[in-house]
Amino acid sequence: MKYESQRIAYWFFATCMLLFSLQIVYGFIMGFAHAGMDGLHDFIPFHTARATHTNLLVMWNLAGFMGAAYYIIPEECEREIYWPTLAKIQLGALVIVGVTAIVGFHVGWFEGRKFLEIPRPLDFLVVIDVLLFIANIAMTIWKGKRITTTSSVLFFGLLMAALLYLPGMIPTDNQTEDSYWRWWVVHLWVEGVWELIMGGILAFLLIKLTGIDREIIEKWLYIIVGLTFLSGILGTGHHYYYIGTPKYWLWIGGLFSALEPLAFLGMAIYGITMAKRGGRKHPNRTALAWTVGTCVMSFVGAGFLGFAHTLPQVNMYTHGTLVTAMHGHMAFWGAYAMLVLAIITYAMPLLTGRKLYDTPSATFAFWTSNIGMIAMTLAFAVAGVTQVVLERRMGMEFLAVQTEIEVHFWGLILAASLFTLGVIAFIYNFVRHGLPKGEIERSSATEEKEPDESPALEAAPGAAE
Amino acid sequence: MLSKSAARTFFLVGTAACGLAFVLLTLDTFRQIPGQTREENLTEAAIRGKHLFDQSNCMGCHTILGEGAYYAPELTRVYERRGPEFIAAMLRDPEAMYPGQRRMQQYDFTEEEIADLVAFLEWVNGMDLNGFPPAPPLAAAAGTTAQATVADGRPAVFNQMCVACHAVGGRGGAVGPALDGIATRFDRDYFTRWLADPAAIRPGTTMPKLPLSDQHIAELSDYLASLEN
Repeated sequence: MKYESQRIAYWFFATCMLLFSLQIVYGFIMGFAHAGMDGLHDFIPFHTARATHTNLLVMWNLAGFMGAAYYIIPEECEREIYWPTLAKIQLGALVIVGVTAIVGFHVGWFEGRKFLEIPRPLDFLVVIDVLLFIANIAMTIWKGKRITTTSSVLFFGLLMAALLYLPGMIPTDNQTEDSYWRWWVVHLWVEGVWELIMGGILAFLLIKLTGIDREIIEKWLYIIVGLTFLSGILGTGHHYYYIGTPKYWLWIGGLFSALEPLAFLGMAIYGITMAKRGGRKHPNRTALAWTVGTCVMSFVGAGFLGFAHTLPQVNMYTHGTLVTAMHGHMAFWGAYAMLVLAIITYAMPLLTGRKLYDTPSATFAFWTSNIGMIAMTLAFAVAGVTQVVLERRMGMEFLAVQTEIEVHFWGLILAASLFTLGVIAFIYNFVRHGLPKGEIERSSATEEKEPDESPALEAAPGAAE
Repeated sequence: MLSKSAARTFFLVGTAACGLAFVLLTLDTFRQIPGQTREENLTEAAIRGKHLFDQSNCMGCHTILGEGAYYAPELTRVYERRGPEFIAAMLRDPEAMYPGQRRMQQYDFTEEEIADLVAFLEWVNGMDLNGFPPAPPLAAAAGTTAQATVADGRPAVFNQMCVACHAVGGRGGAVGPALDGIATRFDRDYFTRWLADPAAIRPGTTMPKLPLSDQHIAELSDYLASLEN
């Protein structure tokens, strides 16, 4: 840690841990309900659990991105956060809005549009909060000593994420238009600008962890985010096949979303190559594992499993089935959850000054949560494909099919238990690091140099080209 | 090898071109949506129904236009599949309609709200969705589809309401007992009295009193009395 105000990131990360834990609880409520045990129905009906589960995910990912930005931007710009107090207020406000939304869901206060269930008045508060955050980051970059590609990409991603929240607030009475704008938010977030944020955070981590020359990492960063937008923007069309929009979306969406895995494949190759060729042996191997892990798992979850049902001929039958849940779980885990956990794993020893790098529990957390998530994805896949065959292909009644696939939800619950064990280990590690009381270490040497890195082993520029 | 500035140019030009194409396509799509969704049929009641649908978080369990959660049935074509009377009865008291099954929240909607929701679902039912939801292609081979052909002699109301819970010839729901051979156990008069008010004949039965007209009951009684094996 090089700047005092980076400590703020800790509180965002702690919020992530809290919301993530709660998200898992609601996941279990739904898993049990699907398996036929809906004992909580009178208090937390399925739709409440569902809205809570997904909104907590969005909220903790956003909190993670904000924390990451507050950690990364000072180092990239070589100055303190411009308004450190505002950052704390802004976190507090985010938590208050979040808690209000969650409590609202339990008493029936909804906007009821998938992923955007937060009621309209709270939408405005979210936008204001995020704009304050953006302003703070913008001022820090503006007043900073240098503007790097990494910080620009990260900033541009965060700014666009804030702006793209707005189309979701356009009022309409037509269900199709409603859905159309909703995907402007959701799709252009997760398969667009969030990938800029991902690219920015990944570039920072790879620069720090591998010691590869910044110019090389940032050049490939441009290629990857370029590929992302080339495929992802028009790839939004895969949400416009069957919702009452023109037929040309079938081939536009099909064509461009078929290219989407390329961006993720690029990201995976980039992460693995940089990690392999990096000359620096950073002691925080677990952080590197999460960094490379997020590259690989986002390719499998978002790229590969997304591709599995993105072509219109396939999507005709899988649209609106549990196949979507299969893809959604691993995609969000791989691309965004793991990314936030990667930056947390990297930053915690520096924030707290406790260098607990490759402890057994940290390794356990990485492997157990990932194996658990792969098993969960398989359970969703079996349930989803069975649903598609029985309901969509053979025409069985919905409820009869749901009874047939109940058993796979017991599989899901088992897998999710394993996943949860991993997450508990991660949170245990987080808590063990303690509060952000690490010393400010100013190194006058090369700007990328970590105070705790093992000596020498500078990468020759161009090593990974 | 590619330079960093070339990479930046690739990113900026690619993004700008795709972004522009997307905005233009969006403009054209909004020109076409009113026609494709039959917006002329979007009544005041249907609009109220849409907002009630959102406020009740129906998408938290159901899918509509294939979007939402996967805990409860697809509602895009439910107006055609079950008919307005069944939907209204379901909204009045969900658990009565599917006794002992996966539960839906009791929302305590007023009759006017129920009419609004039905109007909304009727409007959605009329949309042109490029062929979604598809007819099940393996239904004939598997012999599982609930919606039988006219040649089977099933009254239309049977195909809308009764199959939600009962099967005949292996086609239909599994909530209530299959009705094959039911005529060997009861006669037409019994069916008429039973359908008019199940609980009056067998107190405590899980079969709900369905919103059936006298003509529906007559048609169904005829049909059930014909199910001899």
